[in-house]
Amino acid sequence: MKKQHFTVFSIICLLNLLSPRLHAQDGSAKAAEEEKEARKTVHFNGLGRTYLGQTAIDGNILESDSATVRNLTDGEFLLDLILNATPNDKTEVQAILRLRNEFGGFFGAGQTIEVRELWARGVIANALKYRVGDMDLVMSPYTLYNPLEEGVVNEAAVFAPQREVIYYEQFYTDANTRRLQGAKLDFGLDFTEGLKDAEFSAFLTRIRGTDFFTIPSRFVAGGSAMFNSVNFNDSLGMKASVGVNYVNTFDDLQSGEATTGIRNSVFSVSYNLTAFENKKLALRLVGESGKSSLENRNDSVSFFKETDTFLDVGVRAEFKPQKVAVTAAFVDVGPDFFSIGAQSKRVNFDADKSYYDRIGVDDEKRDPALFDLTRDRALYTFQLSDRLMPYDARYSNTLPYGTATPNRRGLRLDAIYGSDADRIEARIDAALMSEIRGQGTNELKNFSLLRAAANVNIHHYLSWEKNLRFTFGYQYENVDRGGVEIEQVDLQSNLIDLGLEAELFESFELLLGAKLFSANGREYPPRIDSFNDVIDFPTQLNADDSESLIGAGFKYEFKKGIYLTVQYQQFDSKRGVNNPLDYGLNQVFALFNMTF
Amino acid sequence: MMMSQYLKIATCIFLMGALTACEHEDEPFAGPSLIDRYGDFTVIQELSVNTTLVDFAAGETVIFTAEFNISVDWVIEITGTETGAVKRITGFDKFINAENATWIGNTTDLPFFSTEMCTVELLVPEQEDFVNTADVEIVSTRVYPGSLFTDFEAEPGSAIQFGNFEFELTNQTGRQNNAIAAQGDYFYFLQGTDNVVPNFFVGLINISSNITGETYAPLPTTIPENLYFNCFIRSSGTPHGIAVIQFVFDSNDSGAFEDGTDQTFQLPGDFPLNWTGWRHINHSMSEVGMTQAQLQKLVTIRVLLISDMNSQPSPPISVEFAIDYLTFTQGGPLQL
Repeated sequence: MKKQHFTVFSIICLLNLLSPRLHAQDGSAKAAEEEKEARKTVHFNGLGRTYLGQTAIDGNILESDSATVRNLTDGEFLLDLILNATPNDKTEVQAILRLRNEFGGFFGAGQTIEVRELWARGVIANALKYRVGDMDLVMSPYTLYNPLEEGVVNEAAVFAPQREVIYYEQFYTDANTRRLQGAKLDFGLDFTEGLKDAEFSAFLTRIRGTDFFTIPSRFVAGGSAMFNSVNFNDSLGMKASVGVNYVNTFDDLQSGEATTGIRNSVFSVSYNLTAFENKKLALRLVGESGKSSLENRNDSVSFFKETDTFLDVGVRAEFKPQKVAVTAAFVDVGPDFFSIGAQSKRVNFDADKSYYDRIGVDDEKRDPALFDLTRDRALYTFQLSDRLMPYDARYSNTLPYGTATPNRRGLRLDAIYGSDADRIEARIDAALMSEIRGQGTNELKNFSLLRAAANVNIHHYLSWEKNLRFTFGYQYENVDRGGVEIEQVDLQSNLIDLGLEAELFESFELLLGAKLFSANGREYPPRIDSFNDVIDFPTQLNADDSESLIGAGFKYEFKKGIYLTVQYQQFDSKRGVNNPLDYGLNQVFALFNMTF
Repeated sequence: MMMSQYLKIATCIFLMGALTACEHEDEPFAGPSLIDRYGDFTVIQELSVNTTLVDFAAGETVIFTAEFNISVDWVIEITGTETGAVKRITGFDKFINAENATWIGNTTDLPFFSTEMCTVELLVPEQEDFVNTADVEIVSTRVYPGSLFTDFEAEPGSAIQFGNFEFELTNQTGRQNNAIAAQGDYFYFLQGTDNVVPNFFVGLINISSNITGETYAPLPTTIPENLYFNCFIRSSGTPHGIAVIQFVFDSNDSGAFEDGTDQTFQLPGDFPLNWTGWRHINHSMSEVGMTQAQLQKLVTIRVLLISDMNSQPSPPISVEFAIDYLTFTQGGPLQL
């Protein structure tokens, strides 16, 4: 493995030496002397957050339960101080120091001071870009990617502040990046014939340290090369982009006393081939295909190995004047396809919740619900998992591990219309899938997924200067399986997101939102022991569930990035008619957020 | 390069990917069969044991066998008829055999088993009406690994020094066999009320390493991180009592404990006696802060009974606990 890394590194260095037309991709180097002087600076930025909230619980499940506290008050005061220094025009370093005090903490209790982020980056010889320390990385949806969480289609703005806190705390970004720690190199090449340009990237990160006994250090290494062609035919606009991606997650058996470790490598080729493009229409062939390898080793002896492949190929049509893009793709992801970097989930359904983790007379662990998925950062993780993490089939069953969900074959369709500058922006995603290998039976499950989202910018209709927007999201999911009575599965779920943003006064918004969820039917959620091995179906899920989360509040934005919001949210969870497990939660909170 | 060449290359890449990507290993379904897992339950073979007399000290074991038509969660519960000791073996399978149901004489719920008759029940929690039974008699008990400091089974003589300095301990305090011991027949009981000198302290015993027949306690290792102290403490669940265990290092090489001279160590924090029954207490010796050199001269273990006067009513009520089977293990706590 080390030899492979060295080879990749050598190739990158050789290309660097041979090419006179190398360029750094971020182009951060500046030529002018005064700009150099100007950049020799130290900046202080940061984020401050104050949260104060009260959560209350009620419902049938609390009958005869005198132990559960009915009201919880909590909060935090937090300052992330960003220290950014550019000692010269080719080097930049940054540290984020976190000062945090829990609500009620005093004289040192509940206070923490920690380094949240630390990195350095720069450009070598105006050509090779490097970065060491913390970084956010993403490759392709099958190699290194952070798929979206459950319980969200097009969430109302009233829930956005809590979602932003979760995203910030777990380092999630809109680009589906993963937070890793290590070193990275990037560079690009420009060409004069045939190829237009090429971009290369390589990284080596450590995601786990050794305990010096049985747990070895774990690394993620990889790289990508993306080649973009010139137009082959100016009248047709034909061109091609082809990428090669490789990521390898491996344990270093030289660290500590550990003798057993894993190797998980994924190799893929991605492509975007434009067959025709003009000002009105573009037709493209898009996709990615590749192979994964999973190996468990004792020293250098492999005692478990499996490989599998995936194919994701589709056609995209873009109708430019109409601002419509439609994609249809065939997907085939093998049952043994395993990609730690792409299949690790954001939500850890086994994690302990921050609020009312156990309730009722028997102190039962409460299932994560919409209320928790919306606000509880303790449920979320940015760590990579070496087994397929548990999921709640009611919230996501077709693609619980995102695009790279294994054991799926079928069609995926999506259509996009408009942008936020238009009166309406909308998106529809659909998937018609089936299993490739059965679970607990040779009968295969069939999945149907429909996700629709629309933003209606009412202020554009009314020519109102302030913001008035209605948001809508809907997810329908169905899974069924035939066979004898015990094997049969039939689970449907519906999730509706509704939201309204009304700017009553300058920068002062009324926010209303609702999330409505229902699930009915039977399913057998698998229990996965290690990697992707199903070892049991411990419970028969018989759902007759509904959940509702309604939120209302105000948000005042002092300036961009600085706002105060005060909200009330009411949540109800019902399990069938007059079920003793029904409960409700409500919360009142104030959140002040300041980025400076 | 001509456009057609690019198209050929792109087509080749696409076709290669497409052709290789749809081939998957042809395996049967994943996980256990749902019909096996959730079908109607019947017993194919009733519970049986390979022996009704077992000599655990000689390394013998008891093997349970049974078979169901489907995989289920099952529990084998072995109960000592005299001690009340309980051993549970659990599993999820349709077969119960030597691989998943072998008893080596250990225990799940204290006390340890004694030489006694045991009843065995095979239960399937999902089938409330189902139960299979059997009997096993223990002719000698399991020998646990580790270096035993004392189990109070032998008369200690002068090896235990009784410290009733404030005359607060009752005459019940001492080596007893009037209740179920955690191991064997005897344990040591401390009982008293902090009502003479209300200073939290009720009484103590100093157990000299002489009780092992050696000047210093024989230990399986002296590396503090790998050496674990274990004992069993019985609490009656009444509030306000605290147990404290201290370890004495022979600072002046006298070969005997000299109070005020020899250095004493104890675990940070105490053991509030807030449970009922016997409990396994254990910790590594690195947690008490002793070095390897100090462990080589462990001369005494001191056991104190404390009354938490901050929580006691007025007048204070009696506090008590029993202690048994003080032993040192290597690499981890005693595996029950």
